[in-house]
Amino acid sequence: MTPTYYLLLSALLFAIGAVGVLVRRNAIVVFMCIELMLNSVNLSLVTFARINGELDGQVMAFFVMVVAAAEVVVGLAIIMAIFRARRSASVDDTNLLKY
Amino acid sequence: MPQQFLAQGEQLQVPAIDFAAVLPILIVFGAASIGVLLEAFLPKHQRWSSQIALSLTGIVGAGIALAAYISDAPEGGITTFMAQGATTGAIAVDTPALFLWGTLLALGLASLLMIGDRSLEPGGAFISQAGLQSGGLQTREQANVTGMQTEIFPLTLFALGGMMTFVAANDLLTMFIALEVLSLPLYLMAGLARRRRLLSQEAAVKYFLLGAFASAFFLYGVALLYGYAGSVKLAEIAAATAGSSASDTLLYAGIGLVVVGLLFKGSVGPFHTWTPDVYQGAPTPVTGFMAACTKVAAFGGMLRVLTVAFEPASWEWEVPLWLIAVISMAIGAIFGLTQRDLKRMIAYSSIAHAGFLVVGAMTLTEDGLSSTLFYLLAYGFTTIAVFGVISLVRDANGEATDLSSWAGLAKRSPLVAGVFTFLLLALAGIPLTSGFIGKFAVFSAALADGNAALVVIALVASAVAAFFYLRVVVLMYFSEPAAEGPAVTVPGAFTTAAITLGTAATLVLGIVPAFALNWASAGGFVP
Amino acid sequence: MIASSWLLVAFPALGALILLAGGRRTDAWGHLLGCATVLASFAYGVALFFASDGKPTDTTLYSWMPVADLQVDLGLRIDALSLVFVLLITGVGSLIHIYAIGYMSDDTDRRRFFGYFNLFVTAMLILVLGDNFVSLYLGWEGVGLASYLLIGWYQWKPSAATAAKKAFIMNRVGDVGLALAIFLMWKHIGSVSYTEVFAGIGDVDSGVILAIGLLLLLGACGKSGQFPLQAWLPDAMEGPTPVSALIHAATMVTAGVYLIARANPIYNATPNAQLAVVIIGAFTLLLGAIIGCAYDDIKKVLAYSTVSQIGYMMLAVGLGPIGYALGIMHLLTHGFFKAGLFLGAGSVMHGMNDEVDMRKFGGLWRTMPITFVTFGIGYLALIGFPFSAGYFSKDAIIAAAFAQEETWRAWVFGGAAVLGAGLTAFYMTRLMLMTFFGKRRWTELKSEDGRDFHPHESPPVMTIPMMILAIGSAGAGAFFVFNGQLAEWLAPSLGALQEAEHGVVPHSAVPFIVVGISALGVLLAWLIFGRREIAVERQPVGAVVRAARSDLYGNALNEAVFARPGTWLSRALVYVDNKGVDGFVNGLAALLGGSSGRLRRLQTGFVRSYALSMLVGSFLLVGLLLMVRFA
Repeated sequence: MTPTYYLLLSALLFAIGAVGVLVRRNAIVVFMCIELMLNSVNLSLVTFARINGELDGQVMAFFVMVVAAAEVVVGLAIIMAIFRARRSASVDDTNLLKY
Repeated sequence: MPQQFLAQGEQLQVPAIDFAAVLPILIVFGAASIGVLLEAFLPKHQRWSSQIALSLTGIVGAGIALAAYISDAPEGGITTFMAQGATTGAIAVDTPALFLWGTLLALGLASLLMIGDRSLEPGGAFISQAGLQSGGLQTREQANVTGMQTEIFPLTLFALGGMMTFVAANDLLTMFIALEVLSLPLYLMAGLARRRRLLSQEAAVKYFLLGAFASAFFLYGVALLYGYAGSVKLAEIAAATAGSSASDTLLYAGIGLVVVGLLFKGSVGPFHTWTPDVYQGAPTPVTGFMAACTKVAAFGGMLRVLTVAFEPASWEWEVPLWLIAVISMAIGAIFGLTQRDLKRMIAYSSIAHAGFLVVGAMTLTEDGLSSTLFYLLAYGFTTIAVFGVISLVRDANGEATDLSSWAGLAKRSPLVAGVFTFLLLALAGIPLTSGFIGKFAVFSAALADGNAALVVIALVASAVAAFFYLRVVVLMYFSEPAAEGPAVTVPGAFTTAAITLGTAATLVLGIVPAFALNWASAGGFVP
Repeated sequence: MIASSWLLVAFPALGALILLAGGRRTDAWGHLLGCATVLASFAYGVALFFASDGKPTDTTLYSWMPVADLQVDLGLRIDALSLVFVLLITGVGSLIHIYAIGYMSDDTDRRRFFGYFNLFVTAMLILVLGDNFVSLYLGWEGVGLASYLLIGWYQWKPSAATAAKKAFIMNRVGDVGLALAIFLMWKHIGSVSYTEVFAGIGDVDSGVILAIGLLLLLGACGKSGQFPLQAWLPDAMEGPTPVSALIHAATMVTAGVYLIARANPIYNATPNAQLAVVIIGAFTLLLGAIIGCAYDDIKKVLAYSTVSQIGYMMLAVGLGPIGYALGIMHLLTHGFFKAGLFLGAGSVMHGMNDEVDMRKFGGLWRTMPITFVTFGIGYLALIGFPFSAGYFSKDAIIAAAFAQEETWRAWVFGGAAVLGAGLTAFYMTRLMLMTFFGKRRWTELKSEDGRDFHPHESPPVMTIPMMILAIGSAGAGAFFVFNGQLAEWLAPSLGALQEAEHGVVPHSAVPFIVVGISALGVLLAWLIFGRREIAVERQPVGAVVRAARSDLYGNALNEAVFARPGTWLSRALVYVDNKGVDGFVNGLAALLGGSSGRLRRLQTGFVRSYALSMLVGSFLLVGLLLMVRFA
């Protein structure tokens, strides 16, 4: 099985994530879509590591996981705070700042 | 296939680190980490004073370490964090990096002074318990509680350290990590305003979601470039561009996505959409920090990536970046004309300035590099002072950022109006301010590189943008003050020092810019 | 002596700093300090003038912008041209500063006024003393800023704020031109200093020289109120009268002429740009003169007269070596008499409760004798009465215009200049008659704030500067042409003045033609305005009224042949001026503002639409990259 399929899958997951950010309203789900995008990149990195015959890409994937975990902490804190204030997690409701 | 696995009995090789060179970064991160510990162990009433002392010491100490290193820095710069057998390290310490570190530390110091100020608002501009539900009884009491969420200080230091790492990162992975280290604290800081909690939280959520979205793009670009070049080191990407067998689609899609991530951080149109909302909603000292330091970091990183990694592909990316510079200048100049909120207006001004900076960043000559570095320095100081002045004009609800409430300010407080006029003139690029020197240097470098059309557009855009700075000046001098208008608060030592520093730098860099220009043009990127 | 020429700039700069930073503490003596600094600069300028031989001496103060290839030093150039300007700026400037002590005596903010005034003098001196184009640009923006602050001085008047804004915006258009010209010089010659640019201009491609010349001209048009950027200058009269006299008549608005004269090696290398300068000058001088016939506001008439006279100067400097010195000479004499006229107009306003409508004046010569005499001398100088200042300087320009080598040019531009002289005589005589002669129309009127008019002579602090300027208006021209000494003095900067020998009209006949045409203009004005009542209110121009009027005065022929077409022409031009050029500027502002108002709705406040714009942007960026690569 050629590694190219993994790359295509990764691109597909990235696209699904990006579209999810655009179409979903719940802030948590939007955030999960972004996580999906990051993880699709991980798949790419590992695949490229395999293609190039070295380990760098796999190590990078670990870095990305750590960063994503940190992002979850910060993101959930922010989303929690605004959910408690507004009793809603819809990103369309946070619409005071505009024009 | 994996030959890198350690053989039996072989020692793990620690990468070579030149500690003297990276000492400034280490000091900043060290101070930040100690700050987190202080937060955990000190009683509440001692935190503010010890945190501010620690942060100031950290930044000043880093500055001293930087000065000590510069005094006998090796010619041409070095790279450090070098793995065994590698030719380049993960962190490059060269003239542009040192210049940007100095800039970031100075701007960080001014921002920190504004963040730590408690004279304008009892207890400071930040809420004491960010976790409390806003709108409720508890939050209203918060306005009277004199305490602040002192985690803001370590957060600022972490962000600053991230920025310093970002501008020195010599490979894309380090750059990504630094990008996150600088961004994550900023997302939180944007949501910590004491007043107008809903706006502040909205700014945080928008900045966070869009920032994470942009960093996903950046990361995907990194992955594609890794696939193309087999390495994420900037120099090796450049080398691979000349002779890699991989598909060029990987290369150019990778370049595009990495640049998108950088443009987002630099608030360049059309990736600017978060800027006005976040600038307006975030607490003003944080806005000042973001506007000045984040821009320096983003463009510092962009300069390095474009010059070191993507230079061989410059023929291809010149056209798209040309277009993006024009879009950014146009958006900033035109959208800014009808803004009614001062912080929002400055946000659009910063988008226009980002367009000018792209003009400088895409000019890959010595002049282009040094003039863009100078522009960042000049713009950073002016912006910090601008937000410092904005934080002075207040009414019963906190800062009065609506333009109409600034009417006739010159009658109430000629000094504040005079300083603000001077700063606006600097943003407009009138001679004897640093803004003029920056624009002149950047535009003449771009012209010498053959970008005449872009320079004409940039001059027209800056003429249009001058109009909305002028609107504020007209309002301050030529209108009658409103009866119930805001008052100008007399700032305490911290904010006074920050504004004075920013204004003095704007003036000095306008009259005797030679030392800064000389430093900026002392050397290029280490290859 | 020359090495410390920075003192010239330092005096007024220090004055501005003390007055603006000192606050109320300096109120008591601020105006005196303001005058003293300019007088000190003047004294130093006189000393320098006698110490210098007129040859360019550059003193570098320090290195301002050292970016690798781009080296800009902040330096001063003392030479014949800059010294002449220094004397004009500080000399006339001192007189107007002194006058302003009296004129602004009722203003509670007089100290701040003098602070701005000193700031202006500083910037203007930097403009003329700089030894490179970037220093010039520094002064250029500085005078624009000071002018902007001073036009908007009466800040409670919305019209003043609008006028200030308009001046700023129209000047920006010119500034962009100047900035581009400087960038082009740097790109093609590698320097912005006068010495190196002028030395290297010969090696540059002729198309580039033309572009530089035209861009400099655009800058000059913005600053000097030349077509098509003239509309801000008359509006600038919203400022206090000393400002109009110093900034918008004697000094700042002539900066465009200075620029072109200074850049004479560039223009000498590009005849097409010279032609453009001549065309702009000739067109503007007619435009200003014709529009000047239509206004009843005494300051607006003088403002259009300034526009028109600067047109003469532009025409002269566009003629090349036969005209540079003549343009500067007219600039100097104009500095005297126009400043005098504005101070006179200010004196009239001072005595007439700040009224500017000439229809409400009349017969003032008896109540304001000194103003009348000094104003009268300025008037004679402006219309070119034999042996007054204007007679020498303007006639020389007209003669030079007739002496161009190409016949069609000589006829067209010489003719325009002569016609302009006639029109000048007409509108200025109209102004004199309506203001100082005829019935005292103000006796039965009240000013806008309900007071009676009690015209009175102004205090000596105002009349003495007017007298000195009147002496200059009377004698400066003869002094300058005596032995051709001004042209000879200016030769190191502008090259020797070439005598225009041949010409389509004999050289000796020009003065007679000009004086004749001017006399015709005076006569015509007297026929229309001197012999009959001037209505206090502007009359509706219905056919019946016009018929009635011509019947009453039995002057139908005169009305039909001269007055009516003239009125129509000038009204039409006023209309075009207000609606056309202004309309374009205002329309552009409205377009930008309108599109801004609509476009900013794109910033919807929804995170998801922001994300969409980022995604689209990324697609475009990557798509373009791939397109450039594979297309």
